[in-house]
Amino acid sequence: MENMIYADDLRKEFKKIIKEPGIKGSVKALFKPHKEIVKAVDGITFSVPKGEILGFIGPNGAGKSTVIKMLTGILTPTSGTCRINGKIPQEDRKNYVREIGVVFGQRTQLWWDLALRETYAVLKEIYQVPDDKYKKRMDFLNEVLELDSFITSPVRTLSLGQRMRADIAASLLHSPKVLFLDEPTIGLDVVVKENIRNAIRRINAEEGTTVILTTHDLSDIELLCERIVMVDKGKKVFDGAISELKRDYGDVRTLNFELVNSPDFKLLDYKRRFNLTDDDISVERDKGTVKVRFDTAAVSVEEIISYTLSTVHVKDLNIKDVEIEEIIKKLYRREVRV
Amino acid sequence: MRYFRLHRIFIAQYLKKLMEYKADFLLGAVGLLFAQAIQLIFIGIIFSQIPDLRGWTYEQILFIYGFSLISKSLDHLFTDNLWMVGYRIIRKGDFDKYLTRPINTLFHVIAENFCVDAFGEMLTCVLLLCVSIPKLNMPFHWYTIPLWIVAAIFATLIYTSLKIITAAIAFWTKSSGHITHMLYMANDFSKYPVSIYNRFVQIVITYILPFAFTAYFPASYFLTGKDPLFCIGGTVVAGSLLFALALFVWNRGLKAYESAGS
Ligand SMILES: Nc1ncnc2c1ncn2[C@@H]1O[C@H](COP(=O)(O)OP(=O)(O)O)[C@@H](O)[C@H]1O
Ligand SMILES: [Mg+2]
Repeated sequence: MENMIYADDLRKEFKKIIKEPGIKGSVKALFKPHKEIVKAVDGITFSVPKGEILGFIGPNGAGKSTVIKMLTGILTPTSGTCRINGKIPQEDRKNYVREIGVVFGQRTQLWWDLALRETYAVLKEIYQVPDDKYKKRMDFLNEVLELDSFITSPVRTLSLGQRMRADIAASLLHSPKVLFLDEPTIGLDVVVKENIRNAIRRINAEEGTTVILTTHDLSDIELLCERIVMVDKGKKVFDGAISELKRDYGDVRTLNFELVNSPDFKLLDYKRRFNLTDDDISVERDKGTVKVRFDTAAVSVEEIISYTLSTVHVKDLNIKDVEIEEIIKKLYRREVRV
Repeated sequence: MRYFRLHRIFIAQYLKKLMEYKADFLLGAVGLLFAQAIQLIFIGIIFSQIPDLRGWTYEQILFIYGFSLISKSLDHLFTDNLWMVGYRIIRKGDFDKYLTRPINTLFHVIAENFCVDAFGEMLTCVLLLCVSIPKLNMPFHWYTIPLWIVAAIFATLIYTSLKIITAAIAFWTKSSGHITHMLYMANDFSKYPVSIYNRFVQIVITYILPFAFTAYFPASYFLTGKDPLFCIGGTVVAGSLLFALALFVWNRGLKAYESAGS
């Protein structure tokens, strides 16, 4: 399939001036600034086919937002190129941005004091959306994002969830081909998150919009994305389908044992028995249930089960499938070679 | 055309917002009017003691002062948001949104805000001109009014361009409001005849920060009819050159913009 987004060896460096503490440090910084270069994005290459929803994940400070800012033309890359729908964002910016929608969850792009309805009217002019299209579009966005209840309120009076929906609607007003969402669900409650996910899914399904979203919430990833790109310290550490991630790195299992006598819990000492570290295994207890989460590379499922059964009386047991969250935690801890 | 339309829309939105914050607006305008009144009383006191200054009469000085407020107040009314660019918008990363919209960034950021406080200055301006002009025997031709308009436009362009340049410095330094502030202190020199200053100040406000072309030079042409080429032509040239420079610096700044980490 043809690629909508294409990034080749993108890099972005920021210069940071390091100031030593105290007056002496300030004076020194003035005459001989000690500069440190932060490699926020350190050679990232990836592409996104038309119509895909790509999840962009990684720990705080990994460089996700910086990549988004380069793709949207806000930042000029230190080196490397990106091309979206055949256009280079930094060239001919004004024409390029007509084709994209951008939302930064952390800060609104709307006018603080304008009523939401007025805000959209101004954006309509900025993007030159014709009257009939605008009306249809507003009806559609109203329905998908449920804006009706607050459309006459000034943006400053909206709750975080309302504001986020308002921002997403604003980014979709001109029917962009590509939608960039940086942390679109940050700080929201479950109901709003669900609403936003549905909206993203619908826009993607009905209009074939290509979407890149960064998130901390792994349910966003599981519910929305077929594919993820994971970055850490400015570098790409994984790029592939979620099923692939599970297959290749899914060596974490969770076993739940329901004990006959819950105080028996004390008898179980997996770490000593199998000589394991905190990274290999974690044990939680909830009343009569013991939840053992472990790495199958360090200890097998069979060993855990037979040790447990031979040590305590077990009423019931179940095996939980690998959770993506576990894999990602491991990847963050850089335990997986890529 | 599209930009004019957008500008109208921004103004309309601004006025709506104003209605919401009536008290705020009134306070601002009254405050500025008050500040202007104090300045005027100050000039009045000085000139009631000295009948003329380096060959300029009291009325002529009032005229030059009033003329200086034309461009100053126009710039103040329309481009006040540039202050915010230097103080806050770039540093906080709020400039991002302008870069994701399909219109000129400079136009967008300027059009977004109006400063009705400037009406205080405008009122003073009109007052000073109305008081001084009848007492002055100024040359008048058919082209005098068009020249006024040209002078006002390019003088405003001088102000605005200098403000654009100092605001754009923040693209590299993150914050440059203090530089714009210093610029505004220099512009105070332009309210009075340039001839009262020493050589150094004269050169600075004529050729480096050409504030003299926002008031003294064009005003002295309208007063005396002498030197139109230098006085009005100079304003046009200074305004055009500075505006070209401002656009250049702004566009380079956009490439240097670093946004802000979150
Ligand atoms: N405008 C900036 N100036 C200086 N450093 C920045 C800037 N933006 C981001 N950084 C740094 O670059 C790195 C990546 O940041 P970011 O892209 O925001 O990460 P993420 O979105 O993955 O949390 C961090 O170390 C951050 O401190
Ligand atoms: Mg981020």
